[in-house]
Amino acid sequence: MAVIEVTAARNVEVQGLSQKFGRTEVLHGLDLEVGQGVFGLLGPNGAGKTTLLRTLATILRPGRGSVRLLGFDVTHAGEKRALRRRLGYLPQSLGYYPNFTVFEFIEYFALLKEMPSREVRPAVVRAIERVGLEEKAKSKLRTLSGGMLRRVGIAQAIVNEPDLLLLDEPTAGLDPEQRVGFRRLLREMGASGTVIVSTHLVEDVGAACTEVALMERGGILFRGAPDDLVARGEGSEVGDSPLERGYSSVLAAARV
Amino acid sequence: MRNHPRDEAHVARCADCQARWGLAALDVDLDRVWSGVAAEAWASPVGRVERLAGRLLGSPGLARALVNTPSLVLSWILASALVLGIGVMVTRQTEQPWVALLAPALAGIAISYAYGPGVDPAWELSQTMAVSDRQVLLVRVFAVFGLNMVLGLVASLGAAQAVGITLGWLAPMAMVSALALAAATTAKSANVGVAIGLAGWAIAVLASGRGTEDAAAAVSRPALVPVYLAFALAGVGLTLWSMSGSRSTGGVTWR
Repeated sequence: MAVIEVTAARNVEVQGLSQKFGRTEVLHGLDLEVGQGVFGLLGPNGAGKTTLLRTLATILRPGRGSVRLLGFDVTHAGEKRALRRRLGYLPQSLGYYPNFTVFEFIEYFALLKEMPSREVRPAVVRAIERVGLEEKAKSKLRTLSGGMLRRVGIAQAIVNEPDLLLLDEPTAGLDPEQRVGFRRLLREMGASGTVIVSTHLVEDVGAACTEVALMERGGILFRGAPDDLVARGEGSEVGDSPLERGYSSVLAAARV
Repeated sequence: MRNHPRDEAHVARCADCQARWGLAALDVDLDRVWSGVAAEAWASPVGRVERLAGRLLGSPGLARALVNTPSLVLSWILASALVLGIGVMVTRQTEQPWVALLAPALAGIAISYAYGPGVDPAWELSQTMAVSDRQVLLVRVFAVFGLNMVLGLVASLGAAQAVGITLGWLAPMAMVSALALAAATTAKSANVGVAIGLAGWAIAVLASGRGTEDAAAAVSRPALVPVYLAFALAGVGLTLWSMSGSRSTGGVTWR
């Protein structure tokens, strides 16, 4: 009798990815496979997290190596378009159009994602509700606080119910209550797709992520469950929480 | 009916009570109803121009990107028309073809502010969209160039210019627009695009107008058309190269 091996679908398949800016190699032969769930990216400034996310978001073409997302090859124009319809991205610095309202801004990007016309407005309403901005739906973006703008950014990223959601520092500017709500949202999105979230806040990773990777200098130093990262920090005194201690321990070991 | 309880649970399953109380069978997706109501309340109406553009382009997203072009807003168009109107008046008074000199410059400025990271605060996000930045570029540049061409033609006719001069600035306009666009996208700055476009035009006017009093006629000579088109093609090529994903974007501040 034949044995059929069933493997979980890998929505993100990166092999040997290298990226250079000028003469500086920012990513070195990085391998990464991620399936369904919430995947956290930790690391110090300059580790390459944003470069990795930009590559996955198809902003940067892979310098070397291969990247396949949701089964699509990111270097093929036709496949890239199909991929982008199922992609959601929140950049680290989100620019906005000051005279757009919250609704208009999210609707604009829903249209650019080529969502079916009939689905656009109900989807925008749902996205606004999920980030708790109902009262501000008709407000101009220039009147919003930094935290509210961040939530607008999250809303445009999720409006098309993406199968692959990439978030770069999504909780910057959010208050603790909003961060709790955001983590719940992450878990919801991760239940049916892949979420990759880059953050400096280890508590976000611990609360929402099923798996976490620690990057430094363009490579991955650690990959595993948050509990595994905590275990690496046992006995260490550097850090104010178990996750921070694990984070510091892994970095310290790599720098020896 | 006298013995029917009057609680919600009963009414929800009793057709007689529903009929009595004037309630239709509640077979409505209330979430969908709410979404529709909220969308109506929160959304802005879609203008006629955008609806027409959506039908012509076959893409509501592209149409929305087109109507949000900074240099296609009404105030910009009126300002361009005003400048050309002044050019018409000066031309009629001085009999110097000022429209031929102004039209390419205005087009170059408008093109610089049509597209690119210099004018789009959400540029990074725009590069992840299914409607690609190249599609947006093509549509916006075509529309802005076309509008400026129409404005220039109307102004030329208003100034009672000779046909040769009326049409002679089209090739220079293409060159200035392409140079401005290339500079704006490469430098990620609309202001740089404007500066390069105007500088290029000034050089072309001064160089071809040497030894003659009629700079506008000199710069519109048919013999110069291949030169203008060559520069225009070079500008387009540079624009496409600077838009390719192989260029790094890290550490660059959008201006």
